[in-house]
Amino acid sequence: MITINNLRKVYNTGAVAVEALKGITLNIENSEFVAVMGPSGSGKSTLMNLLGLLDTATDGTYHLDDQEVSGLDKNQLAELRNRKLGFVFQTFNLIPSLTALKNVELPMLYAGLKPQERRERAIIALDRVGLGERTHHRPNELSGGQNQRVAIARAIVNNPAVIMADEPTGALDTRTGEEIMAIFQQLHQEGATIVLVTHEPEIAQHAQRILRFKDGLLTSDEVVENRTIAFRKEVVG
Amino acid sequence: MNFKEFIFVALEGVRNNKLRSFLTTLGIVIGIAAVIAVIAIGEGGKAMIIGEMEKFGTNIYQIYPNYRDGEYTKPRDFTKEDVEVIKKISPEVKWLSPMKYSRGEIRSSLGKKNARIIGTTADYKLIRSVELARGRFFNEEDDAVGRRVVVLDEKLGEEIFGRDNPVGQRVMLWNSQPALVIGVIKARESQLGMEPDRMAYVPISFMEGSNQWRYVNSLIGSAASKDTVYKAMDRTKLILERRHNSPGHYDSYSMEEEMKTVNKITGIMGLIISSIAGVSLLVGGIGVMNIMLVSVTERTREIGIRMALGAKRKDILMQFLIEAVVLCSIGGVIGIILGYGGAMVVAQFLNLPPLVSWWTALGAFIFSAIIGIFFGIYPANKASKLDPIVALRRE
Ligand SMILES: Nc1ncnc2c1ncn2[C@@H]1O[C@H](COP(=O)(O)OP(=O)(O)O)[C@@H](O)[C@H]1O
Ligand SMILES: [Mg+2]
Repeated sequence: MITINNLRKVYNTGAVAVEALKGITLNIENSEFVAVMGPSGSGKSTLMNLLGLLDTATDGTYHLDDQEVSGLDKNQLAELRNRKLGFVFQTFNLIPSLTALKNVELPMLYAGLKPQERRERAIIALDRVGLGERTHHRPNELSGGQNQRVAIARAIVNNPAVIMADEPTGALDTRTGEEIMAIFQQLHQEGATIVLVTHEPEIAQHAQRILRFKDGLLTSDEVVENRTIAFRKEVVG
Repeated sequence: MNFKEFIFVALEGVRNNKLRSFLTTLGIVIGIAAVIAVIAIGEGGKAMIIGEMEKFGTNIYQIYPNYRDGEYTKPRDFTKEDVEVIKKISPEVKWLSPMKYSRGEIRSSLGKKNARIIGTTADYKLIRSVELARGRFFNEEDDAVGRRVVVLDEKLGEEIFGRDNPVGQRVMLWNSQPALVIGVIKARESQLGMEPDRMAYVPISFMEGSNQWRYVNSLIGSAASKDTVYKAMDRTKLILERRHNSPGHYDSYSMEEEMKTVNKITGIMGLIISSIAGVSLLVGGIGVMNIMLVSVTERTREIGIRMALGAKRKDILMQFLIEAVVLCSIGGVIGIILGYGGAMVVAQFLNLPPLVSWWTALGAFIFSAIIGIFFGIYPANKASKLDPIVALRRE
């Protein structure tokens, strides 16, 4: 699903150049649930931005779903993001003026779906994350956990090839974080490919595989023993 | 995304930022309202003036001598025969009358009044489409024999005779000339007050017979149609010049010409107003651009989110461009309504009908949309060129 080879990213901010990724090679298979760990500044977000096609690498190759992405222009990247990727951010990144439903409809809006179909699919997606009754609330009327559920619904609504989650529990308390992880595990069970960045070992323990980063390098790649299985509560907190 | 969806997204943006949207569009509202109000009043005024002129008669023209030394008319500028000859040999000239002006007292046993007494011929009734309330206008026979008859206008008749019927009454003109009232002219409705004077008409031959006014002041004529006024006027002048051997001695004046002047003046006024409106709309447009730029900065994160979710450059460009157009169009519509309302109030005071054609309203609407495009393109372009990752990181 994802194959990167010797991927490098150098930030040129004025005088100093920061090499945030120093040549990463790895492979993520279809339907894998991968956690990316590492201390702050180790390059996790940089990797996610590259994998998420939000930023372009300085060097190296990246194949997403067998397609080389390095030569693509902005519009093609936008289209790929729209069709193949779903994003979940630490700060939710919902549009504050739009209702949950409208936020979830956005990827389908840019995919060119008809309003009727958008609405139907958005309702189904919100239902899947346990938010069936909060569809007409705006982000400021919802709790952090609920907002993150909306964001997950938005990420899955276009049936993406990969879900990219950068510290999705970082802004949530432990219990709510656990609920979010339950949703990810359920999506994974249903066949989703998930790449999740976290610096919390307990969260990473929910994945199948952990990649550890340090100073822009991949330092370990291991299978998770004794996976934590999160329990999903349908009661929305 | 199709156009309709862009409009929905734009409307959402407008609805979610009501106060800012209102402030953004205020300049456009004021600009368009001013334009519409001024056009409405201007067009209303123009329509009224032209209406009045048409009431006077569009085929009418007048000929008078052009003395540069301040003299009005001198003897033998016009003769009785001139009128006959011109009528006979010019097909363009339908009717033609000499005019002789005087002022004098009209006295009866019931009352007296100072009035303008005009000596003319029977053609005058046809030229001015004179309508009579009572009695008759003098005819060619009256002209021929210089009969001592007079036609009064309605007001004058009332002022002298009160409720009595003036027709058949005897009056004294200029303190020395007895005459018989044979008709009363229906008052014309005039908002402009073009005929404020009290008027009385007598056969010019009667006036000559009274031996006080020896010459004609001007000719008044009527062309066969509106289109032949200039021809008729020129022909009349030419014949007069030939007969009196005095090239360039006669000037002419016509309602048609007057209307052209009115059109020219309103045209110039329109131009001046348009440029003022243009400036105010320019200022309004810059305001729109300014606030759209602020909006793009404020919503950078939203733009980043949309891009992450698959919005292309074009999608973002269209979103903000259409938002600007929608804002300006709404401002335009409000401006049209306010402008028309304002014009109605002003028109009420000035007693004229405000006129806004559908074309003017449509033009104003389209123009405000164009302002939206013109001043929205830069902020929209700026938004669309943002880098998704940079936009997402912005707080
Ligand atoms: N836009 C940027 N410009 C310059 N340096 C950056 C930028 N983003 C990240 N960095 C630097 O790259 C390194 C990796 O950052 P990041 O990928 O955000 O780490 P993590 O997400 O693991 O905390 C850090 O040293 C950070 O300061
Ligand atoms: Mg990070």
